[in-house]
Order: sequence, then C-alpha cells, then structure tokens
Amino acid sequence: MPLIETAALVKEFKRVRRKEGAFAGVRTLFSRDFETTRAVDDISFAVEPGELVGYLGPNGAGKSTTIKMLTGILTPTSGHLDVAGVTPWRQRERNARNIGVVFGQRSQLWWDLPLIDSFRMIGRLYEVPKDRYRANLDRFVDILGMGSFMDTPVRQLSLGQRMRGDLAAAMLYEPKILYLDEPTVGLDVIAKERIREFVAELNRDTGTTVLLTTHDMDDVERLCRRLILIDHGKVLYDGPVAPLKEHYAPHRELVVQLAAETDVVDIDGAETVKAEGGRVWLSFDPRETPAARLIAAVSAKYEITDLSITEPDLEGVIRRMYLERESR
Amino acid sequence: MTVRGSIAWQLKAAGILFGGALRGTAQYRANLFLTMAAGALFQTTGFLALWVMLARFGDIAGWTITDVALLYGIRLTAHGVWAVPFNQLMDVEHFVREGTFDRFLVRPVNPLVQLMTSRVRLNTLGDLVAGLVMLGVAMSHVDVDWTFGKLAFLLAALLGGAMVEGGIQLGLSAIAFRTLGSAQVRFTVDSVFNLYGNYPGSVFGRAGQWALTILPVAFVAYLPTAVLLGRTGELGVPRILAYLSPLVGAAVFAIAYAFWRRQIRHYQGAGS
Repeated sequence: MPLIETAALVKEFKRVRRKEGAFAGVRTLFSRDFETTRAVDDISFAVEPGELVGYLGPNGAGKSTTIKMLTGILTPTSGHLDVAGVTPWRQRERNARNIGVVFGQRSQLWWDLPLIDSFRMIGRLYEVPKDRYRANLDRFVDILGMGSFMDTPVRQLSLGQRMRGDLAAAMLYEPKILYLDEPTVGLDVIAKERIREFVAELNRDTGTTVLLTTHDMDDVERLCRRLILIDHGKVLYDGPVAPLKEHYAPHRELVVQLAAETDVVDIDGAETVKAEGGRVWLSFDPRETPAARLIAAVSAKYEITDLSITEPDLEGVIRRMYLERESR
Repeated sequence: MTVRGSIAWQLKAAGILFGGALRGTAQYRANLFLTMAAGALFQTTGFLALWVMLARFGDIAGWTITDVALLYGIRLTAHGVWAVPFNQLMDVEHFVREGTFDRFLVRPVNPLVQLMTSRVRLNTLGDLVAGLVMLGVAMSHVDVDWTFGKLAFLLAALLGGAMVEGGIQLGLSAIAFRTLGSAQVRFTVDSVFNLYGNYPGSVFGRAGQWALTILPVAFVAYLPTAVLLGRTGELGVPRILAYLSPLVGAAVFAIAYAFWRRQIRHYQGAGS
C-alpha cells in the first residue's frame, strides 16, 4: 500500500484584483473581483514506503505548493490526499507525528535558543522515549558533525550548520516520511555532501521515505532512483532516472586524444562535435553504434593516446525536456 | 504519556513551548518588567480620569464612585484574564504575512496554543494586576453582601467577560488568514471595549444599551455588575440577559474558535 497518495490534486490561489483610480484602496477592499491561479493542477502520484523520490520542476511549477499540501500547511482546493492513512489538512496533529519537514529557506528551530535546546524541545513535543532520543541524537551529531556548535544559539549558526540542525530536528522522532524542500540551497560542497550522506543513510538503514525537491541535479543523481517532474502544476514524467536520460539524451560523447593533430575524424555513426589540439569530441548513439565498435573504428584509423566517454548530465536532460515541451 | 490531541496534552505542550520562549527572552528581563509596569500605569490613569469626573459630579446615572470602581475592576480583570494568555494574537498577521505560521501547522500541537506560547510579553500582566487591585478595593467598599453565590457569579462573570472580549479578538484575528491585515479592525474594537465598557450602560440611554448588548460589550462588565449591585431594575434590556452574561462569553468564544479553525484553511503561506 502506498504511503503517500494523491489523486487529481488541485490548489488554486485567489488574489483580489487591485483597483485603480479614485478610492482604489477602498474599492479593492470591497471588491469581489478575484484573480485565480492554479499552482497545482490535477496531480496524481503514489509513493511506496522506503522510496526516495525527487520532485522536480522549474521555479513556480508547483513543487512547494504540493509539499505544503502533503505536510498539512495548505488545504487543497480539490482532489484526494492520503499520507500514512491520514488526511493532512484535516488531522494536522496526527500527520505531524508521521512526518519530518525541512525547508531550506526557513528554519524550524528556536531562533534564540542554543541548538541543543531545540533538540530537547522537539524530543519532548514528540514524546520520544529517553533512550531513543539519546541514541538518535548521538548518531546524528556524529554523522552530521554537529559536536562543535550544539551550544550555539541558532541565530548565530552558519547556513550549513543550521541546515544540519534542521535535518537532525526533523528526524529525532523517527518519522516515517521526510520532506526536504531545497535542503542544499546556498550550501558549500562539504555541507551538501554531509547532508546527502545523511539522507542516503536514513533511507537505506531506517527505510525512511523521502520526498525531495531541489534545483541541484547532483542531489538527484546522488540520491534519487525515481523522479517526478512537474511543470505548470502538472506531472510531466514519473519514473526511474535512466529511461529519462535514454529518451531525452541518448547520445554519449567519446573524447579521444590523438597523437597527431586532426580537425575532423571521419567515422560512420559518429559526429565530430569539437576538435582542439589533437583532442576530438565525438557524439554517438550507443543504440546504433556500440561504444566498443566506435573505439575500434577510431583506433584502426588513428593513433589514440587517451580516451574517455561522458554521459549526459541530468540537468541537460531536463533542460532539453522542458525546451521540447515549450516548443510544442 | 498523555492522550494525544487532548486538552491535557495541549497544556503540557504549552508548558514546553512557553518554557522555551521564556528561556529565549531571559536576556530582556528588565525590559519585560518595565513594559508590565507601563501597562498597569496606563490602565490606572484611565480610572483616575473617571474618578476626577465622579468627584466633581458625585455620581454617574445613580452609580457612586465605588459602584463604578467595581464595574471598572471587573472590566479590567476580565480584560487581563484574556489578554495575558492571548496577547500573542497581535502577532498573527506577522506570522501569516511572513509565512512563518507554517511551523505551527507541522507540529503535533494545536496551532493556537503554539501561537500563544511563541513569545513572552508581560505588558498585559500589568492590566491584570491593576484590574485585580481595583476589583479588590472596590469589593471592600461597595454596599454588597459577598455571599458564596455572589462570589461564584463574580468568578463566572470574569471568565465570561474574558471570553466575550477574547472571542471577539480571536474571531477578528482569524480574518488575517484571508486578508493578511486585521490589526486595524482589532484596534478599533479594542477601543470600543475600552471606551464604552468602563461606564454604566444606563448613561448611554435605552438604544445605547441595546447597541452595547448586541456588540456585546455590555456582557463584559456592565450587566454582571448590575446583577451584583442589585441594579437589574434599571436595565434597558431584559433582566434575564444580565444573569446569563457568563454563558454569553462561552458561546461567543466557541463560535469564534470554530471560525478561527475554518479560516486556517485559507492560509496561503508565503513564496511559491
């Protein structure tokens, strides 16, 4: 049975249209003239326990709005929503015990208190048994490297430290589901890596189900097996990462370093993309020209001193996908 | 472990959250007491102005200085009883506009309880202290035999009055989820309560009394004080309403709370 289930989920935002001219303010106040935007437009998906899903899309696609409905912050305009057997907006307090939430932009910690105080309060609010609390906290401090700033007030923490604190706070009570909304935004490489490791380990060892929104494709490549891509509030793609790459970016690049400087390498089934001081970039489709055959063909004609094959990155794939959609 | 979602749990959670807020503001302690003293002073000057007026004219619509002091004390104490715990309602727009109300909706505690315990502000404690002092002094001077029944009615009336004013402020605060701004409306209503709640309703004539009863400012102090002083004969509204005033508070608050819960559904958050 799926842990998270949405069906035909819709969220509309109503905004009063501003009046212009005389008494604009007063007329706006009594206006019945609304402007409606559909941030989420008929979204359906199901997530099984233990999955780690990337929920992706450009800015304003409806990612955060979906997450806010799943967490119980927003009430859907229509559609069905079930998270661990609970309707989030109807049974917020029950839902809250099942989920951990981390918003990259906004901390859930107590601003004026030392980090350890926030953890203690979370432990008491979620009634975590003492031994579980101790064990979890020790483990998190260790994996996330928080030992040096446990007694620092949250407002004095760096962004990377604060994010680690937020992540630990969200997992102290062992929720079934973890929602991560842009958890690595603005962080340096080391902090990003720490957070990714933590999420991967939680998912692997404790079977925590994770739904992740991010703009960082490295997060996705490192963590997600499944992607849900959305745009304009609708699902564009829902499935594993590999077929998406195959469909939208079937080409690989073979980079060869040749002993002699050559401008164009003339081989069937491959196209020269670039040539520079003996280094040549060849684009090919492995379904038509297997890599081994291509390498053999090149080495038969030229002397190769070095070579490598690069896969297209996910970012390029997604960019291509959205471009294709726009032009349609 | 307490039963989840129960009132006992909400109280326990309130204790945890308020403890955190208290530790967070410990450094501003001097400031806290200063604002509290300022609150008490402000409310006392209000009564002093009234006292000067009474000293000049002897009585207001047949109410002596001590009668009015009782009314004033009941009004102020009731105000303090709601304003001390619900002071943070003032901040609801701020939380809604900034989108920080989010955090109240993803924790296993009633959002209203979390709002109330989000910060420590003691200025209204001054109102409560001033109210209790005035009430105590007035009680010892008015010509009332304080039987058990009368004391019980007084207690019920104070809670009822607190719930009338608190309920109205809660209901108005809930508008913030839709329009983002309710401070001006709440400020105006607070002024009405302050301005008209401190006088015997009879000075406003029959129509005025009806207006204040419907508003329902009169239920906070005027009607219950009339019962305590045995002045229900002079009321411009049916006597039964005066005796029912504690129940009116409970009804107003229950309706306001239901309204608040419904309005939370219109919360839109901030950002995308």
